[in-house]
Amino acid sequence: MASSIKQRRNTLTALFFLAPNIIGVLTFVVFPVLFSILLAFTNWDLRKHNMFKDESLEFVGFENFVRLLTEADFMRYLGNTLFLMMGIPVSIGGALFAALLLSKDSHGGNRRVFAWLATSAVLVASCAMLAAVGMAGTGMVILLTGVAAGIMITGVFGGMTVYRTLFYTPHFVAGVATFLLWKKLYNPQTGPINAALQPVLDVLATSVNAVPPPTVYALTWGCLGLMLALAAWCMNWLRAQWRDGEIGTQAAIVPCVFVLLPTVIGLLWGQTQGLAWVLLIGLAAFGGWQMIQITTRGRDFTCPRGEGFGSSLMICLAVMVLQFIALGFAAVFLNLPGMAADGLDAPEWISNYDWAKPSLMIMGLWAAIGSNNMLLYLAALTNIPPELYEAADIDGASRRQRFWHVTWPQLAPTTFFISVMATIGGLQGGFEMARTMTQGGPAGATTTLSYFIYIEGFETGRLSFAAAVAWALFILVFGLTLFNWKFGNKYVND
Amino acid sequence: MTDHHAAPPRRSANTRRFFNSAGLHVVLIALSFTLFLPFVWMVLTSLKSLEEVGLESWLPGEGGWNFSNYIEVFRQIPFARYFINSIFVATWVTLLQVFTSSMAAFAFARLNWPGRDKVFLLYLSTMMLPGLVMMIPNYQIMITLGLVDTLPGLILPAAFSAFGTFLLRQFMLTIPSALDEAAEIDGASKWRLFWDIILPMTRPGLITLAIFTFMGNYHSFFWPLVMLRTQERYTLPIGLLYFDSSAGQETNLLMAAVTMSIVPLLIVFVVLQKYLIKGIQLGAVKG
Repeated sequence: MASSIKQRRNTLTALFFLAPNIIGVLTFVVFPVLFSILLAFTNWDLRKHNMFKDESLEFVGFENFVRLLTEADFMRYLGNTLFLMMGIPVSIGGALFAALLLSKDSHGGNRRVFAWLATSAVLVASCAMLAAVGMAGTGMVILLTGVAAGIMITGVFGGMTVYRTLFYTPHFVAGVATFLLWKKLYNPQTGPINAALQPVLDVLATSVNAVPPPTVYALTWGCLGLMLALAAWCMNWLRAQWRDGEIGTQAAIVPCVFVLLPTVIGLLWGQTQGLAWVLLIGLAAFGGWQMIQITTRGRDFTCPRGEGFGSSLMICLAVMVLQFIALGFAAVFLNLPGMAADGLDAPEWISNYDWAKPSLMIMGLWAAIGSNNMLLYLAALTNIPPELYEAADIDGASRRQRFWHVTWPQLAPTTFFISVMATIGGLQGGFEMARTMTQGGPAGATTTLSYFIYIEGFETGRLSFAAAVAWALFILVFGLTLFNWKFGNKYVND
Repeated sequence: MTDHHAAPPRRSANTRRFFNSAGLHVVLIALSFTLFLPFVWMVLTSLKSLEEVGLESWLPGEGGWNFSNYIEVFRQIPFARYFINSIFVATWVTLLQVFTSSMAAFAFARLNWPGRDKVFLLYLSTMMLPGLVMMIPNYQIMITLGLVDTLPGLILPAAFSAFGTFLLRQFMLTIPSALDEAAEIDGASKWRLFWDIILPMTRPGLITLAIFTFMGNYHSFFWPLVMLRTQERYTLPIGLLYFDSSAGQETNLLMAAVTMSIVPLLIVFVVLQKYLIKGIQLGAVKG
C-alpha cells in the first residue's frame, strides 16, 4: 500500500515536470501530425472550401496519393531533390578533407620549424604586398592581396583555430542572407563570378579555336575514359573487398547500380554521338574480365550477406558523383569547338535551366565544407588512438594505406551518422534556396519536394494534396533511414 | 657526442617538416581565402554607389565609400524593427525551450516512475517526423487561435521540442546519482533538487541548447514567411527579401542589409565558439 502511494506520488511529480513540455509537444507536434494524416485522405482545397464557397469536405481515400504518383510533377520534383542530393557525397568529402587538414599540427612539430614558418610567412606576405603596390596594381588587386596576406599571417601565428573559424563561418551564417548574397554573385550581368570568368573564357575560346578539333575531341575521349576508369576502379575495389571477405555479396552487387548509372546515362546521351559503341565495348570488356576474375579466383574469405553495406555504398556514391562530373566535362569538350567558334559566354547560372541545379550545388559546397560535419570529423579524428598509427608505421604502411586501413575504418561511425543526417536533411531541403534565389525555376528546374509542398499548401491552397506530398516525403525519409540503420549499423559495429 | 651524430639527420628532418607544414598552410590559406571571398565582395559592394554596382572592380570607385548606404537601409525599410522582432522571437523560443525541456529532461533522467522509458521512446520517435508534415495543420491551429500574423504565433510552435529534452537528458545522465540521494536525505524537495543542484550542473548543456535554438530561430524562414503579413512584424530573413523584390532592386543596399544581419552572428560565433563546437560534437552522441 505504502509503495503504491509512493508510486503515485512519483508519477505526479514526474507529471508536474513533464507537463509544460508535453502539453506543447502534444499541441504543436502530435496533434498536427494526426490531423495531417486525416487531411491527406480528404479533398480539402482552399479554392473550393473557404468562407465564400463551402462545398462539403469529404474523404477521398487514396485519391491524393494516386494523383501524386500519376501526375508527373511529384516524380519530377523528387528527381530534382535527388539530383541536388548528389552534392551530399561531395560535401561530406570536402568536410572530411578540411577536417584532415585541420587535424594536423600547424606548427611543424617544434619551435625551430615554427620560427622558419613564421619568418617565411611574414616575408611572403610583405613581398606580395610590396609587389601589388609597387607594380601599380589596381585597388582591387592590392586589397585581395592584403586579405590573403592577412589570412596568411593570422593563420600561421594563430594556428588551426583561425582556419577552423574561417572554414566554419560560411556554414554558421548560412541562411536567407547568404542565399541573397549568392544570388547577386551569380548574376550573369553584374555578378563578380562572370566578371572574373569572362576573360578566362575569352582566352579559352581563342585557344580552342587555335588548336585543331581532334585535340579537343581527345579531351572528350579522355573524360569518357576517366569515367570508365572510375567505374572500373570502383568495381575492382568492390571485387577485392568481396574477395577479402570485407563485404558481403549483396553489398558488393547492389552499389554497382550506382557505379554503372553514369555510364548508362552516357550511353543514352551518346546514342546520337556515336559514342555508345565505345562505352559499350569498354564496359563489356571490363565486365568480362571481372567475371573471369570472379569465377577463377572466387573469394578467399566469406562474409555474411549484406555485411559492409554502408562502406561500399558511400564509396560508390562518391564515385558516381565523380563519374557524373567527368561525363559533364566530356559533354562540354564535345560541344566546345562548336560553341567557341563565335566566342564563349559565361553561363547564366541560376537563370539557366541546365546550370541552375549545379549552381545551387556549388553554393551548397561553399557552406558545407566547414560545416558541423567537419567538426564531427575533427572530433572523431582526435579520438583515433595513436597506437593504431604507430602499429601501421611499424608495418611500413604508406600514407594512403594509413588512411584506408586506419583512418577511414575508424571514422566509420561518424561517416554513418553524417550520411544518415545528410540524407534526411537533403530530402527535406532546398526550400529556402528555391524561394529566395530561383522561385523554383527556371521552368521548375530547382523545385524540390519541400518547395512543392509550400506551393501547393500555401499558395495554390490544395491543402490535402500538400499533406499527401508531405507524407510521401516522410515515407521516403523513413524508408531511407531504415535502410541506413539496417545496413549501415552492421558495418559500424564491426 | 650524440649531438654530433644526430645533427645532420635532424636538420634534414626539420627541413622536411618545414616543407610539409608550409604546404599544409598553403592549402589551408587558399581554401580559407576562397571561402572568404564572397564576404569581401559583400562588404565592398555594400559601400558602393548604385551606379558602380555592376562594375568589374570590387572597390568603390569615384563615388567614394558610401557608408550612407547603411543609413539608407534603415530609411527604406524598418530594419531595426525586423532585427528586434527576430531577436524577440528567438529569445522567447530559446527561453521557453530551455525551461520546458530541462524540466522534462529532469523527469526522464532523474525521476523514477512507471513507464518512463516507454514514454521516452515515444517522445524520441516524434523527432523523426519531418517538420513539413506539421506545417499545414499548425497553420490551421494558428488560424483557430487567431495568432496568424503575430509574433506569439511564431514563438509557440517552435518552443516545445523533443530534441531539447533529449539533448539535456543526455547531459543530466552524466551527473552522478549520489547527489540525488544526498539531497533526499537532506529532505530537499524534487524541485529544489532540480533547480539548485541538477540545473546548475547541466549548464554546458543548457548553453549548447540555447545557442542552437537561438540560431535556428534567428535563421528561421519557412514559418515566418507563411505566417507574417504586416511589415511591422517581419523578422529579418523576411525583411531582407524586400531589396530583392520589384520594389527594391538596389544591390548595394541589399548587401548592406545582409552585412548587418550577418555581423551579429559572427560576433556570437567568435564569442561562443567553444561551447558551440562542444555541443555539436556531443549532440552527435545520439547517433
